[in-house]
Formats: sequence, C-alpha cells, structure tokens
Amino acid sequence: MFVLPPPPPRYTIPVAYAAGAANGMAVPVVETNNTISHPEGGCPLQVGEGTYTLKDDLLLATPPPHPSEAPIINPNPLATVPNPPTCGVKLSLVSLDPRKKPPVFLKAAISAPQFGEGNSALAPPAAPPAKDALKRRKPKNNIIKSSSSFVSRVITHETSAKRLNDRDPNGVFAFANINRAFQWLDITSASKEDHLTKVLFTKSHMLCHDINELTKTSSHLDIVMGSSAGDIIWYEPMSQKYARINKNGVINNSPVTHIKWLPGSENLFMASHANGVLVVYDKEKEDALFTPENTGIPEKEIPLEILKSVNSRNQKTNPVSSWKLASQRISNFAFSPDQRHLAVVLEDGSLRLMDYLKEEVLDIFRSYYGGLICVCWSPDGKYIVTGGQDDLLTIWSFPERRIVARCQGHNSWVSAVAFDPWRCDQKTYRFGSVGDDCRLLLWDFSVGMLHRPRAHHQNSTRQRTSLVAPNSQSAARTRADSGANRMRSDSERTENFYEFEPVTSHPIEPRSRTAMLPPIMSKIVGTDPICWVGFQNDCIMTSSLEGHIRTWDRPSDSVINNANSL
Amino acid sequence: MKKGIFHRGPRNGATNTPSPAPPNPKKDPQPPQISPLEKRLQDMGPIRVDGSDKFFGMENYGNTCYCNSILQCLYYSVPFREAVINYPQRTPLESLEAALAQNLRFPNPNAHLEAEAQAAKQKATVPSARQAGVTPNQPQKPEDKESPEYKKKIALQTLPILEAKNNSTSYGMSESLFTSLKDIFESLVGSQSRIGIIRPQQFLDVLRREHEMFRTAMHQDAHEFLNLLLNEVVSNVEAEATKQSFTEKALPPSESADSLGLTNSSGSKSPNTTRWVHELFEGILTSETKCLTCEKVSQRDEVFLDLSVDLEQHSSVTSCLRKFSAEEMLCERNKFHCDNCGGLQEAEKRMKIKRLPRVLALHLKRFKYTEDLQRLQKLFHRVVYPYHLRLFNTTDDAEDPDRLYELYAVVVHIGGGPYHGHYVAIIKTEDRGWLLFDDELVEPVDKNYVRNFFGDRPGLACAYVLFYQETTLEAVLREQAAEDQASSAAAAESSTQQPNGNLFHVHSVPTDDPNRLTPIHKITTAPGQMPVHPEVPEHEPTTPHAPLAPQPVQPPEVPQAPPIPSEPPRALSPKKSDVQSRKEKAREEKEMRAAQKAADKAAKEEREQYEKMERIRRKEADQLRQAQIKQEAADLEKALRDSKQTSKVAAVDIGPENGSPRESSKFNIFRRGSRSISHRLSKDKEKEPRVSTSTSDIAPTPVPEVPAQQTEPVSLPVVTKDPSELSSSYTSVQTFPPIQENPSNDNHVYNANPKANGSSSHTNLPFISTSPGTLNNSNPINFHSPVYSPNGNGSSEKSGNSNGHTTRWRSFSFKKSAAS
Repeated sequence: MFVLPPPPPRYTIPVAYAAGAANGMAVPVVETNNTISHPEGGCPLQVGEGTYTLKDDLLLATPPPHPSEAPIINPNPLATVPNPPTCGVKLSLVSLDPRKKPPVFLKAAISAPQFGEGNSALAPPAAPPAKDALKRRKPKNNIIKSSSSFVSRVITHETSAKRLNDRDPNGVFAFANINRAFQWLDITSASKEDHLTKVLFTKSHMLCHDINELTKTSSHLDIVMGSSAGDIIWYEPMSQKYARINKNGVINNSPVTHIKWLPGSENLFMASHANGVLVVYDKEKEDALFTPENTGIPEKEIPLEILKSVNSRNQKTNPVSSWKLASQRISNFAFSPDQRHLAVVLEDGSLRLMDYLKEEVLDIFRSYYGGLICVCWSPDGKYIVTGGQDDLLTIWSFPERRIVARCQGHNSWVSAVAFDPWRCDQKTYRFGSVGDDCRLLLWDFSVGMLHRPRAHHQNSTRQRTSLVAPNSQSAARTRADSGANRMRSDSERTENFYEFEPVTSHPIEPRSRTAMLPPIMSKIVGTDPICWVGFQNDCIMTSSLEGHIRTWDRPSDSVINNANSL
Repeated sequence: MKKGIFHRGPRNGATNTPSPAPPNPKKDPQPPQISPLEKRLQDMGPIRVDGSDKFFGMENYGNTCYCNSILQCLYYSVPFREAVINYPQRTPLESLEAALAQNLRFPNPNAHLEAEAQAAKQKATVPSARQAGVTPNQPQKPEDKESPEYKKKIALQTLPILEAKNNSTSYGMSESLFTSLKDIFESLVGSQSRIGIIRPQQFLDVLRREHEMFRTAMHQDAHEFLNLLLNEVVSNVEAEATKQSFTEKALPPSESADSLGLTNSSGSKSPNTTRWVHELFEGILTSETKCLTCEKVSQRDEVFLDLSVDLEQHSSVTSCLRKFSAEEMLCERNKFHCDNCGGLQEAEKRMKIKRLPRVLALHLKRFKYTEDLQRLQKLFHRVVYPYHLRLFNTTDDAEDPDRLYELYAVVVHIGGGPYHGHYVAIIKTEDRGWLLFDDELVEPVDKNYVRNFFGDRPGLACAYVLFYQETTLEAVLREQAAEDQASSAAAAESSTQQPNGNLFHVHSVPTDDPNRLTPIHKITTAPGQMPVHPEVPEHEPTTPHAPLAPQPVQPPEVPQAPPIPSEPPRALSPKKSDVQSRKEKAREEKEMRAAQKAADKAAKEEREQYEKMERIRRKEADQLRQAQIKQEAADLEKALRDSKQTSKVAAVDIGPENGSPRESSKFNIFRRGSRSISHRLSKDKEKEPRVSTSTSDIAPTPVPEVPAQQTEPVSLPVVTKDPSELSSSYTSVQTFPPIQENPSNDNHVYNANPKANGSSSHTNLPFISTSPGTLNNSNPINFHSPVYSPNGNGSSEKSGNSNGHTTRWRSFSFKKSAAS
C-alpha cells in the first residue's frame, strides 16, 4: 500500500479568497461563526521557568466577500494588477484590571511634554467643557445605523448585551481584524468564541488598530483603526459610535500600516502610511484637503521631510503633523516607554530613532539585509528589538546607540516581536517573536551573557560604546564607516551634512563583530504564518494569518500566576 | 526619407508588404496607444552602446520558455553581458549593423488587426480546427485583450523582429553555444530598436544539435538549462583560449589588447581571461569533516556555479541556505573513514561557503522526488525571498563574508508538475525597474510583483531560480534615495502639472520629423540612418567601437558574409524606438496604402499560413505530450510492479552514487561517508531522490529508480522522437548499457545496466530521457556528477577538454537537515 502524501499545501489565505475562489478553493459564502478548539496534546512551550500550556485555539471566521466585491476570477497568475493590501489577524487587548497592568521599570515618573506643547494653536481646542472627567466624548455617527458605503453592516451577537452586563469588569477585551471584518471579543468569558460585535466593511480591510489606554473606562473605549484604503475609523464599541478620519484618503491615500495613540494623549494618534509618511491625527478634528506646507521638493535629501509641522499655526483641521520619512513602506513604529522617542522601521531596511516631540530623526540603523518588519522597546526603554526579512531579531542599545546582538532562530521573516514585561527585570530581558515560519520563539538576554564571536573577542572592549563620546580610535572607524554608508553618499551633499543634520547613520556591523543570540525556545505553533504576539500577565497569545488566536497559560508553578490567582 | 516597406518573418517569405487597407478608425485604438513597456521606456535618451536599454521579448518555438527565461536573466546580468559581448572581442558596431539591417524586420503595425479579423473569420468557418490547436490555457473567447496569449500575438505582429544569426566568424570562433549566445546579445546591443522580439532560432539550433535532450518539444528544466549553458560557455571559451594560444603567438600582442581594451566603451572590465564565467558564477564550498575520535578536521573544497537548496514549508531562502551548513553526524552505517586514525569513525560534517560568487544563482528545489508516487512532484511551499541577501554560512576565512547581494532576476515556473508548465522571468533592469519577460511579451511590473511567487498564491506560479548579484550598501542606498526622489517628484508633478524633468524628455518628444534627433543619436547610431549604411565614417570620431584596429583573427570583411539571411535585404523603414515611430509609420502607411494593398493581401495569407503551421505545430506538441503522459503512466505502473521486491536493496545501493551531490562528491575520498546518505535517506519518509535532486528534476519521465539496480537489465521505456539518432549518439557513452528497441514504433527502451557504472563515480541513475541525446551527451549526468569524473566528460562536443578546467561544475545541492 502506498500512502498518498497530502495534496500540495494550498492553505486558504482568507485575505486572498477572491483569488482562491478562482483556484477552486473553498470560499465561505455564508457568514460563519468563530470556532474554538483545544488541540489534543496541546502545544506546550517548555522553557526554564516551566511549561506554557496551550489553553485553546480560537479560529476567527473569515467573512464572505461583500456582494459588491464579487471574487475576481483571473486565471492568469502573472496578472500585473496589484493586489489589494491586507494583513493577517492582529489583536488589541484591553483590560481595566490594574493587576493586569505590566510592571513599570522606569525609575522616574514620565515627564515628557505633550506632543505639540507650546503651540497655542494646538492648545486644548476651545477648552472642551469637561463636565465630567469620566464622561468621554464619543464619535458622532452610529455605526449600526450608518448608511455609509464604507461600513457594510454590523452584527451584534444576540447575547452580547447580557454578556456585557454579566461580565467580569476586570476581564480582557480583544479586538481583532480579519479580512474585511473587525471583531470585538471578550476573551475572559466562558464563550469567548462568540463575538460581541462584528463590524463588516465593504471593501477595505482593517490593517491595524489601537486602544487608548488613557481614556478607557468601563463604558468607553477609544479605538482607532487604519484601513487598506487609507481611511481611519475612530470607533467606540460600547456606544457603537464611529467617526471617519482621512476620509477617502483626503490627507493621505495610502494604506495605514500601523496606528498608535500618542502616549499620554486623549485625542492624538499617529498613523504610518505605506508611502512612507507618518501622520499625527486628532480624533476630534475634521479632515481638510492636505497640501504640504513646505512647498516644493526639498533641495536635499533629508531623513525626515516635514510636510506639516506640529508647530504649524494651522491646526483647525487634520492632520496635526505629517512627516515623510521615505518613499518606502513604513512597516511599524513604537513609542519609547519614556514617551519621548519613537522607533520606526521601514521596508528599506532602516530603523530610525526619532525624537518625535522635536520632530527630529536622531539615528538611522540598518538591518543586516532586507526590510524591517517589526519593532518594540524593552520595558525600561534601554533596548529596541527589531525583526525583519533577514530572519533575524536585532537588539539595539538605545543609550549607547549601537547594535547589541543579532538573534538567529527563525526560519523565515519575523513578523512581530514583543517583550514580556512580567519576565523582565533590570538585568535580564525576555521577549518573544513570531514569524512567517509559523514559529513562536522566546528569547532571554542579559548584557553580561552576550558573548561576541570568538575571533573578535578582544575587539569587543573597544567596541563603540557611545557615539556621543567615542574614543579616538573607534571614532575614526565610525566616521570612515558611516561616511561610506550614510544616507546621502553624493559627495557634494556631504559637505553640509554635519552642519545641518545631526542624524547619525550607522554602518552595518559585520557578522564577525556582532554577538549572536540563540533562542531559549522555538516551536512551530501553527500551520500558517503567525503575525502577532502578545504577553499578558497570565498568558502568551499569538494570532495567525488565517485567524487562529492561540493562548498559552503561563506555567502553573510560576510565581506570577500564583500572585494573580488570588 | 525612404518609406518603410514592411515585411514579416522568414516564414512569410519576406514579401513586400504594402500598407494594409486603411484600418477602420473606430476599430483601431491600438497604434496610437503606447504599451506599458513603452511608457516605462520614455525618457531613455539616445540608444546606448552597452545594451542596457534593450527590452526584447523572445519568440517561443514551442516549449522553449526555459531557454528564453534563462537567456533573459543572463542578458540583464551586467557583468555577464559585458563579458559575453567583449569576449573574445567586441564585434564592431558597423558590422553588427550590417548584419542587423538584414535581420531586423519591422512588421506592419496594423498587422494584428487584420490577423484578428482573419482569425475571427476563420473561427467562424472552422472553429474546431482552431480550438484543437490552442493551448488549453487559452480562453475560449479570443478577444480577451488582457490575456497573455493575446498580448503575445499582438507583440509578434507589431513589434520589430530581430533574427539572431550566426556571426561567429567575425570574431573568429567556430559556431558554438557560446557564439550563438554572443550573437543574440550582440544583436540586442546593436539593435536600433529598444523593443521588439528576438528569435533565438540559431541558438536553439546549436543547442539541439549538441544536446539531443533538447531536441524534443518537451518541457525542459530551466535550472538544468542554466547549468548546462554556463558549463558550455566555460568549455567553449576555454576551447577558444586553447586555440588562440596557438594562433595568437604569431600576432603582435598589442592588437588583441586593443580589441579587448579599446572597444570596451562601457567601462567594465573586459574579460581578458577565460575565467570570467568562473569569476561571476563560481563559488567554493568547503566541507569540513571533524573526526570525533582524533578531532582532526579535514577539509575539501568544491566549486559550484549555482546552488540548489532544499525547501521547507514556510521558510525563507535565508533559512534554506543556512540549513545546509547545519552540522551533520556521520555515524552508524555512515561512518567516516579518517585517514588520521585509519578507520571508520564517527564524524561531524558541515558545508560552508569559502568563496562567494559575484552572481549567486539559487535553484529552489521545487521538484521533489516522492517515493510514494515514485516520481517528481512539485512543492508549493511558501518560500519567501528578500530583495537583498547575505550568506550566513561562510567559512571564517572567507573573503568579504558579509557580501551584500541584491535580487535581480527570478525565474518563475507556472504549472502543477515538473513535466509541463511555463517559465517566465522577472528581471530588475538597470534603470527601468522590474520587467516581466514572458516569451514574446515584456511588461513592466511593480516592485511588489516580485513577491507574488513565494509559492502560496493560487495560479501555481512559484519562483524557481533566483539570481542574486553582488552589490554594495551604498548602491542600495543610492537606489533608495533615487526612489524617494522619484516618488516625491511624482507627487510634485501631479500637483504642479509641470514636471521639472524636461531635460530628459528631449529625445522622446513625439515628432513627425525623424531627422530631428540626429545630433546625439550619432554617438551611437541614429535610428533614421540605419538603412543608409555607408554612414560608418561618421561614427569614427565619436564611437570608441570604430573598428580601427585590425581584427586579430578575422579580416573585417568577413563578418558580413555569414549573417546575410537568405532573403534579399530590404530597405527598412526608419525605425525609431519610441512612440513617434508608431505615429510615423501610421502616417507613412497611409501614403503607401494603395501600392501596398496587393502585397499586403499576400502577406496576410502568408500570415495565416504561418499561424496555421504554428497551430499544427502546437497541436503536435500537445499530442506528443499526451502520448508521453500516457506512456509515463503505463511505465510507472510497470516500474512499480517491477520494483516492489527490489526497492529496499536499491535504496541503499544506489545512494552513494546518486545521493545529493554534496554527499557523493566525497565519494572518492570518504567512500564510506557517502553511504550515510543513503542510510539517512532510507529513513526519510519522503526520500531524497537517489539522483542528485537537481538531476532528477529534469528527468522528464517519472523515474522508477529501482529497476536500474537490479542485476539484470531492466527495461526503461523512453519516448524518443528520432530513433535514427540512437546509434550515433550512443557511441561516446561507455557508462550506459546497450539500447533495446521497443516493439512500439517510437518508443525505445534503454537498459540501464548499473553494473557497468558501479565503479565509476557517475550518477548511474536509471536515467530516462525523452531523447537518446541524454545518454549520448551525458551532460545532464555529467555536470551533476560529484567528482570531475575523467570518463564522463569526454562527450562528443569538445575536443579540447583534456585540461582539468573544462570539467563541468555541477550545481550544488544542499541537503535538508532534519526539521526540529
């Protein structure tokens, strides 16, 4: 007997179902429900502190195509029509439970000024009558009754009102995008697979979303989400109200690749667009046709082209500010814990560190090769970790402005990275990463344990520790290197480089001079690329391209778990 | 100005084609429309001499897409193109022009309209005949203007057609695969048109003459072809070098220096050695084996021209490349013979790259032999590839271990299996972005388009061969800066209407006056001057290619002689590469319409004839394939039956020779070590093919591997086209057993007698080929043969092969290490 091998792996990508239909793939035609499963044998993650056990695997239902968006059957695999942008499932989690807050590592209280502080035009617009501090301003339009062509329909689960009333007030809400749907889930409830509300959009796919941590209350959540069309939705799920910002791409018509509320801001959020522009919007402000305020093409290439400064006097309408970093896609960005800095990663392979309050780029680092995809800060703000198309995670020291180590372990591109603040302390750091190789990897690093490659051990002591005050020898090398690798290599332009641009463009460290860090755990956790990873006080969660949301409980003997099971 | 007289390709007999009947203006949106490619090629400035501005499709002669896609990839490798053009010397542009003047044809721009009308008519009358001939892919409605088939048809009918002719005597070489490659490249470089279609007929003729494996209309493996071509170029060049070393002694050395140095205008290094293929594509792999008993590390270097990597689902090229450097234990039955301890010992082995090639050709092993099915199966694994790459698995002493590569070409295989399908190439050109080369069709594509072929998308299209070329970070940054600038300029343009890029527009301003563009065009060759050949003196002051220096090998008159086509030369219409040529032509046609009417009609008929023939040819090919498939199925069954009892023995026995080349490469030295593979393999569920995987990739029929291992000869049926070739083809091969004739008419049975090969290092796979040529030439086997086998490579084509350099480098297969 011959055992026939499985058919060629043609897994269904929800995002490409239109094309899938053309290929004879099963495509949902009716609205389906989320399903939950508890895989036999689990998928335990074994690490030093114990075993993380897979609690469940929640599969989000891929919505059927919108009636107006009939699957385009194009049998030609070489068709040059561009594919609409889409992405796998990402989660935004929110809990009101103070115990679920990640530990804070910053010694001093955050004292960063507000974005645009000092610009009177940005001063609290007309001093909104704060009758009740808890009474949050809601968006204007009701999403259920909306006649917008952007929103297709809203499906509220029949029991959701009851569930909302009965739920544990400290439970965790999750918001997830899948295809053209956006689901609101209560992942601490018993029936967590049933969505509370599902919003279906007509054509656009939501690519990213974020919840405002500052304004969250039991009756109010400010969510912003960015779509493949460039439109941004400000959504308040409790009241089912929404507002549309950057409507029809009036400010920037390129897909929104990442979106985050400005730390410490109730109204302002930042969105990165696929055309390399970072825009700060105000959820309260109206759109206006945007023309760059600085006229013409800049004479010289600069790392940051300010299309509109936060200091602009014209702050009646969106955007608050708009900066062009490159023409390439901005993959991701992250705010530093001290709320002063911004790390941006781009498809061109650069990591750009910004003082976003001053609208300046400070440093440019580069991936080993290929584009960068994800970035995050260590909870204490000392380190930045990036992941990219070189299959590597790279640890950068923020105060020293240098590469610390490259982490090899993924078999494909790294799609997301996050620190586990519950397992970080001042000396050691834990972070996790997921990638297109369907793997979840966990990493531990402490500066002391990093060993540099043998051949260059002696060099490590005079490794550039700081670019601010380098010793002469390494300074010479830095200059030489960065001279060759700087953003602008045209000789006539470099003349003015140091006068006007305090930006340091760092050379790529050769492999022989960089520490290589192995993972402490590597596990294939699914059959489709994983695109998001998050740490909670009691679990690790991942979500995948096709909509699998997996949750691992922390080891039962873990101190944390004991502390929280009170 | 002479007005153009259009004629079609040789099959049409090159009749004088008067302008067609006035096309119905309502029905004629085509001529004024510029194609996406033409749009991309705006602002190109004058024709360049380095060939970087030529974007030609290649005619498909029936399943020759493997050849077309690889040739395109090689052409757009700048150093390779330069080397080919400049070795042994660059043909002077003038003589090229003379040849090209006869080889380039400008078709009637309205031809397709009539062909269409004709086709419609024909379809109405004989619908069945048409349908039988079309490829299964072709939609029933022929009016699908977006279909590649339609676009190709239009391209063939409207674009200039360039026939690559043998010009080898002009640079003093005898015709070979290299010279025909050079002829193609030179034709493109010397062409006055930027776009068009080149006919690699001569190249294919040579290929088929020397390699019988390619004689059928069968689907061939593009990677195999690449490897064969590079090896051929190496041996052709080296044969030439040996020849020159005899003849050149008589010549003053300065002249040859002139021909190499002076004529090289583009500033690239001229290939003054014969090792330029090696310098570009060759890398060195080191296998380090550490005996666990005495701790002694033994090393062994091997060269490769391309790397074949095993694939895993959801992996990246980086990871596939890294996998092969993973340590591997040689233990149990697999032990390593340590010279130091003098016995079989457990050892640790790993492969690393010691010298990085300048052009890294990566072959993704999408065709995997599955034991269960006993044949190759295509893997649709999602394997991502970045635009840039560095290699992790370098040795400590490797030079420039952090070398940065950029992806510049992707060969895509479309189809469900290894025995059929289609190849296209997606190539990053020097300054016009990414283009899709699909036989006759050349289309600009978005940079993101390159990422559509990871393997997970519907449509069965997967990247199959990736070409990475060395680059520097500065170059990458420059390019990114240029992209930034372009995008902001585009943004500015859209808002301000008037772009500031007018400087570039000078040469592409559509104009009715073809003579307007002369001043700069003189530098190269003005399009308008082409028919008037005695322009040559004008070039001398400006062109560095002026053939002032006497040609060392060949008098300058000779070049013109051979390439003259059989048709009488025609006056050509002044061809301009850009939009205006279309308009110009349209206008001219109007004037000449009356005169040309009659001839046009004739041409039409001929076109029909041609199309008919084409259809018949395709039909034949189809039928052949059908027959083949049937045959395969039958064979498979038979082989399965035959093999059942013996399969286990075979798996072990055959392994050492046929395991992945990396293993077998050490066969001579670590005889025992290589056996480990077979052991390992037999443990694997999905066995590595016994053959070096890449070899098995091309086996055009399912290879029942087992029977060959039986002691008595086992019949392996082969479909062949021309039985008469058998006798001659067979003579040079000693490693293969005699051939028996099958009772059936066209099918031949080969007895692969493994005993005959047992002692050689040959891959004595039960090689089944579509043509006897496979056996004759021993190429497909030979260049995969792990060691430079002395007996394997004296095949018929080369006599000067005796020195060691001409050994064929095989491509290198990486073995997948066990997944964690």
